[in-house]
Amino acid sequence: MNTFLLDLLNGISFGFILFLLATGLSIIMGLMGILNMAHGALYMLGAFIGWTLVAQCGLDFWLAALGAALITAVLGFGIERGLFRRLYRQYTEQVLLAFGLSFVLVNLGEWIWGPIPRAPFTAPAFSGSVHLGSIAYPTVRFVIALIGGFLAVGLWWLLEKTRLGALVRAGMDDKEMLAGLGVDFDRLSTAVFMLGVGLAGFSGVIGAQALGASTGLAQSIQLLAMVVIVIGGVGSVQGALVGAMLIGAIDTIGRSRFPQFALFTTYLAMVVILLVRPAGLLGREK
Amino acid sequence: MPSAHHGREGNGRSHLLRLLPVLAGLVAGLGLPLFLPSWLQGLMTRILVNAIFAISLDLIFGYTGLVSLGHAGYLGIGGYTVGLLMARYGLRSLWITAPAGVFAAALGAAVFGLIALRTSGASFMLITFALTQLLYSVALKWDWLTTGGTEGITGIARPDLGIAGFRWNPLLFYYFVLLAFFLCYLVLRSVTRSPFGHALQGIRENESRMQCLGYNTWLYKYIAFVLAGAFAGFAGVLFAYSNGIVVPANMGIVMSGNALFMIILGGTGTLYGPVVGAATIGLLQFYVSDLAPARWPLVMGLVFVLTILYARSGIAPSLLKIWKKASGQHGSP
Repeated sequence: MNTFLLDLLNGISFGFILFLLATGLSIIMGLMGILNMAHGALYMLGAFIGWTLVAQCGLDFWLAALGAALITAVLGFGIERGLFRRLYRQYTEQVLLAFGLSFVLVNLGEWIWGPIPRAPFTAPAFSGSVHLGSIAYPTVRFVIALIGGFLAVGLWWLLEKTRLGALVRAGMDDKEMLAGLGVDFDRLSTAVFMLGVGLAGFSGVIGAQALGASTGLAQSIQLLAMVVIVIGGVGSVQGALVGAMLIGAIDTIGRSRFPQFALFTTYLAMVVILLVRPAGLLGREK
Repeated sequence: MPSAHHGREGNGRSHLLRLLPVLAGLVAGLGLPLFLPSWLQGLMTRILVNAIFAISLDLIFGYTGLVSLGHAGYLGIGGYTVGLLMARYGLRSLWITAPAGVFAAALGAAVFGLIALRTSGASFMLITFALTQLLYSVALKWDWLTTGGTEGITGIARPDLGIAGFRWNPLLFYYFVLLAFFLCYLVLRSVTRSPFGHALQGIRENESRMQCLGYNTWLYKYIAFVLAGAFAGFAGVLFAYSNGIVVPANMGIVMSGNALFMIILGGTGTLYGPVVGAATIGLLQFYVSDLAPARWPLVMGLVFVLTILYARSGIAPSLLKIWKKASGQHGSP
């Protein structure tokens, strides 16, 4: 029973890391039609930056997380304005460009930080553990889940309850109409892309506390984030949350209980859901 | 090598100048390896295998407009089938292992195509990727299939041709792969030039218009998908013979991405383009790996990004245009 609880808690905190990454990927894809293949690479940069700032320089955790988010958001601005914009409406080319870019970013990361993975770090403020009955569980994992939960509510509110969110949702449904109404769609896209990749950088720092930082992470987490948005559906915060929790739980519990089937169950779940509901569990119906 | 094949699309107008690139390609492909050390023959063999794989993907990517992020899965099926038959069951004959590999890959594509073709656009990329990851996890984790986990299957030999007293050497194997490449090229050339191939290009340009014209576009896409899977499986068969080992990473997303790189670099929607792309990437990788092996992904990524931004039509069509201008020919390729 205790190990099951442990698995579940691990699954939830991992799920929130996935959520932060996948929700950006999902909204970018919903609004701009771009499957951002460089999302995992930006997560990796965030994790390395976080590790350097917190574990090496001893900087405050929150400052480090915001710093990494800011750096990746600025990078995202450059990518969106400098690269994607040149391929106006060529969605396939944009995806492939992002794919090529991911190789560049991951290899740059390896150049700067070296090929050796960094172990997970714990900011001094979050050290220690919480006692749940007979088991002690690291506080930092709860912090990860708390941050994720808080941001989930915030993002849901942003997308569903604010004017900006209404514009984004309208853009997902019909961008021509939105542009026809006088909304600057290009600026909206840039803002959403920066927010999405900023979240990727942010989640890199948060996630580094559980997963560490390594170049291999870029690809593996990109793949999982893609699974999450297939399951949850593209273009909604709720979908990303449900998908991330499912995958977080399946992946973590599968790894510890049925190592033979861990990856397989994850991808099988995705295929089954695609067969039953091609738009994902909570995707926006077109 | 890069300039070797760009004339092969020529449609037989007996103009000596027009045929020159084809002849140069033939001479380079047939004659050059005779004067090269065996490790360079090996490089040329690998380039040809990659070229077959890239052409097979171009049938659905360049010709039909379906971007698959999971094409390496069918290469993997072909390779693993050969590996299992050879290393686990001792079947070494070319005439058993190669058809088995191709058939298994086509079967895989026939099943996965049913699922993947329910979607299009970015969702198609996601699901093709997902289906291949499924295969990847099977190869990695299912011990009872004896796929060997991370280690993969080792000890795959070159195939038994059934000729008494025949012994392989790198040069002979190169010519074997070259012959296989020619066969694939010719078959795919007639496919792309047939009414079927033209219908695929019509679907790429405007699927709803093709539907209005009465085409069952789903069926066309499905057949193209299965055919591409079969040829990828054949590339996987040759890959296994040539490398002697198959590992799960051979069907990873990087492998699928490499094929997309080759197509885009060489020239999307052509048959000679992916060949030029495979040769260019093969040679580039060879030189970069010599200078700074750890920086190869960086170089490859940069080349890829720059090609998409500034040379979307690819190397081969540009070279062909220059060649035509220089030799005073007119008209589109």
